[in-house]
Amino acid sequence: MIPSKFDYVKPSSVADAVAALQQGGEDAKILAGGQSLIPVLRLRLATPSVLIDLGGIPELRGIREDGDRIVIGAMTAYHDIIRDDLVKQHVTLLAQATETVADNQVRHRGTLGGSLAHADPAGDLGAVALALDAELVIAGADGSRTVPASDFFVDYFTTAIGEGEILTEIRFPKYTGWGSHYEKFNRTAQAWSMVAIAAAIRVEGGSIAEARVGLTNMGTTPIRATGVEQALVGQPATADAVRAAADRVTEGTSAPSDADAAADYREHLAKVLTGRAVLAAAG
Amino acid sequence: MKLLADMGAYLGLVGPGVPILGAFMFNSIYKFPAYKFTCTNVFTTKTLTDAYRGAGRPEATFAIERIMDELAVELGRDPLELREQNWIKHEEFPFTTVCGLTYDSGNYEQATQQAMELFDYAGLRREQEERRRSGDPVQLGIGISTFTEMCGLAPSRVLGSLSYGAGGWEAASIRMLATGKVEVITGVSPHGQGHETAFSQIVADQLGVPFEDVEVLHGDTQISPKGLDTYGSRSLVVGGIAIVKAAEKVVAKAKKLAAHLLEASEDDIEFSGGTFTVRGTDKGKAIQEIAFAAFMAHDYPEDMEPSLDSDAVYDPENFSFPHGTHLAAIEIDTDTGHVDLRKYVCVDDIGNVVNPLIAEGQVHGGLAQGIAQALFEEANYDEQGTLVNGTFVDYTLPSAADLPSFDTRVVSTPATSNPLGVKGVGEAGTIASTPAIINGVLDAIRHLGVTDVEMPTTSQRVWRAIQEAQGRSTQKTPVDTHSPGAGLGSIDPNNPQGEVQ
Repeated sequence: MIPSKFDYVKPSSVADAVAALQQGGEDAKILAGGQSLIPVLRLRLATPSVLIDLGGIPELRGIREDGDRIVIGAMTAYHDIIRDDLVKQHVTLLAQATETVADNQVRHRGTLGGSLAHADPAGDLGAVALALDAELVIAGADGSRTVPASDFFVDYFTTAIGEGEILTEIRFPKYTGWGSHYEKFNRTAQAWSMVAIAAAIRVEGGSIAEARVGLTNMGTTPIRATGVEQALVGQPATADAVRAAADRVTEGTSAPSDADAAADYREHLAKVLTGRAVLAAAG
Repeated sequence: MKLLADMGAYLGLVGPGVPILGAFMFNSIYKFPAYKFTCTNVFTTKTLTDAYRGAGRPEATFAIERIMDELAVELGRDPLELREQNWIKHEEFPFTTVCGLTYDSGNYEQATQQAMELFDYAGLRREQEERRRSGDPVQLGIGISTFTEMCGLAPSRVLGSLSYGAGGWEAASIRMLATGKVEVITGVSPHGQGHETAFSQIVADQLGVPFEDVEVLHGDTQISPKGLDTYGSRSLVVGGIAIVKAAEKVVAKAKKLAAHLLEASEDDIEFSGGTFTVRGTDKGKAIQEIAFAAFMAHDYPEDMEPSLDSDAVYDPENFSFPHGTHLAAIEIDTDTGHVDLRKYVCVDDIGNVVNPLIAEGQVHGGLAQGIAQALFEEANYDEQGTLVNGTFVDYTLPSAADLPSFDTRVVSTPATSNPLGVKGVGEAGTIASTPAIINGVLDAIRHLGVTDVEMPTTSQRVWRAIQEAQGRSTQKTPVDTHSPGAGLGSIDPNNPQGEVQ
C-alpha cells in the first residue's frame, strides 16, 4: 500500500520544528529515521496530516562527552552509535544492544531518539536507557526540560513527551569499566525481540558490587528488574548465584501473549536469558 | 495411507489434484509389497490451497521419511541402515513400483554414501551421543531425508487417465535466421529459472552454433502461442526435450540441403560441431551457410521447402525421477527451545546437468523454502477463520542470516527416459528438506521423551514439548492472534488499530 496524503515539512532548527509541531496540531507526526513510522504509514495504521522531518537539524545529531555524561543527539543513527568510541568505552551496553536492532540498512536510518520516543516495548533501546538511568532532554515552546528514564516510559507507545514537544538528546552516565551484555531472543535474526535482557554489572573482588538490568517486551513499557538487581548485589558472579537472582526477573512484569510466545513462555525465557546476560556481563 | 486434505474454502486451479499427485509417492524409494491410498478432500474456512513447489510430493515425502525414522526408533536400528535395507538397489532399475510407476534410473547408495561422508555422519553421531551422556543443555539431532519425486509433468495419457484437465506435452519452434542467428520459441515461460541460459546451451550444443547467437523467446502468446508452461519441474525435461526434437528436425532439413549443395548423397553427410561435411573429404558447409542458402532459395532440392525452421511437440513417455539424500544437523537449546540448523548437506541425483550454477541455485532456493516450512512459516487464523498474518510485516520468513551455508553436491545417474539424460531439479529442495529438518528436531530431543512437534517447530513449541514430555505442564495462556502488524514490534491491545503516538 501507499500512505494516505500528508503534508511534509523539514525544519532546520529545533525551534522551527517545535513551531511546526504546534502549528500542525494533533495530527502532526514527527519523522526521525522512519524505522517504524514508514511501515505504519504504508499500512495506513497512521494517517497524519503533516510529517515533520527532523532530518535537517544538524544539532540533533552527534555524540559528545559532557563531564560525567555521554550525550547523544536524538537523531543520531544506530550505525553511528555502534561505531562511536565514547559509547563503546563508557556506555558499552548501548552499543551492544544497538547492534542487534534490525538489519544494516535500518541501522543506517533508524535513530536512538526515534526508537525511545516511539516507545515500542519490543524495541531494544528503552530497556538500555532505563537500566542505565539515562536522562531525556525534551524541548518545547517554553524551553527544555530533563526527564529521567524511569519517568519517561508511560504505557504502550506513550512517553512523557507532551504535545508540541520534541525529544532532543539522551544523556547517559558513564559506566566505564563495567561489564555488560544484551541478550536478545527472537524468531528470526532480524525480527523484533520476543524477550531481551539488558545487563550491566560491576564486579569487585569476585562479587557483584552493582547491577543494572532492563527488560525488553515484558510489559507495556521497558521494565527495570530491580528485584534481580538487589538479589545480585553482594553475590559471587557464579552460575548458581546468578540464576537464583534471575528467578526474580518476573516481579512487576506483565508479559504479553502473541502468536510467537505466550506470557508463561516469555516469563520462562526472561529467567533463562537474565542468567545468561548477567553471566556474560560479569565476564 | 489415509489422507485428509485441506482444500480451503473453495477450489483453485488444481487443488484437488495435489493429493492425487502425492498418492503415487508415499512408497518413495522403498519396495512396498502392497499399498492402499484413500483421500478425503475437505472444505474448510481457510484460504484455498493449490499447487506449490512440490505439490503433493512434499506431503508424501514428509509422511514416508518421518515414518522411516519412527520405524528405526521402534526397531532400535540406525535410520539410514533401515532405509538402505528397504530401498530399490541401483542394479534393480528400471523398477516398477507398487503404484505402477517405472523409475527409469537412480542410485540411492551413491548419493547416500557421498552425503554421509560430506556430513561426517559417524562423527556427528558420536558428538550426539556425547552430548546426551553429559546432559548438555544444547542437544544435537541428525535429520535424514532420502527422497525421490515424480516430476517432469507429464505423459499426457497418464494425465488423461487421472481426468486431468490438460495434456502434459510441451511445444518448441526453432527459426534459422538468414544472419546465422537462431531464434528458439518455447512454451515454458521462466519466472527466474534461467530458461534462456539453459535452452541456449542446449541449442548451441545441438546445432553447433555459438551460445550467444541463440535467442530464446517466450512468455507472450503473440510470440509463443502454444505451451503448457513452467511447473512440476518440467521445463528442462519436457520443454527442453521439445527443443531437442525441433533441433533434430532442423538438422535433418539442413542435411538434405547440404547434401544437395555439396553434390553428395545424404547418407555421406556427417554433422559435427555445426558443420556438414562429405564423409572422407574436406568439403563442408557450416549450418549458418545452409540457413542462408535456404533463405536465398536459389538452389534447393525439389522435394523440400526452402526453410530449415521446425516445430516440435514433445509428449514424454515417462515422468522424471530425481532423488537425493539430505542430512541436517540440528542443535536445540533445551533451556529455551531454540532450534538452530547448524549444518545442511545434500547430494542430489539429477541426471546430466545442463547448467551447474542454475541447478545449484534451484537447490538453494528450494532448501530455504522447505526449511522455512519446517522452522518458520505458518498461516495463522483466528477463531472466526480470519487470516491474521496476511502481510509480510507479520508473516515470518527467514533471511540468509537464519540459514547456514548449504553444502550441496550433485551426482549424475543419467535418466534413460529422455535423450539428454536430464531430470527435474526445481522442486527437489522443497520436497526433501522439510522432513530432514523435522526428523532432526525430533532426533535431538527424543531422548527427553518428545515424540512429535507440530510444524513450524518454533522455540515455543519445542520448549512446551520438552516440558510436557518431562511431566511439567505448561499453562498455555490464550494467545491474542488479533495482532495486525505484530511484526512492527508491539500492538497496544487498547488500541488494536495500531495508531502510533
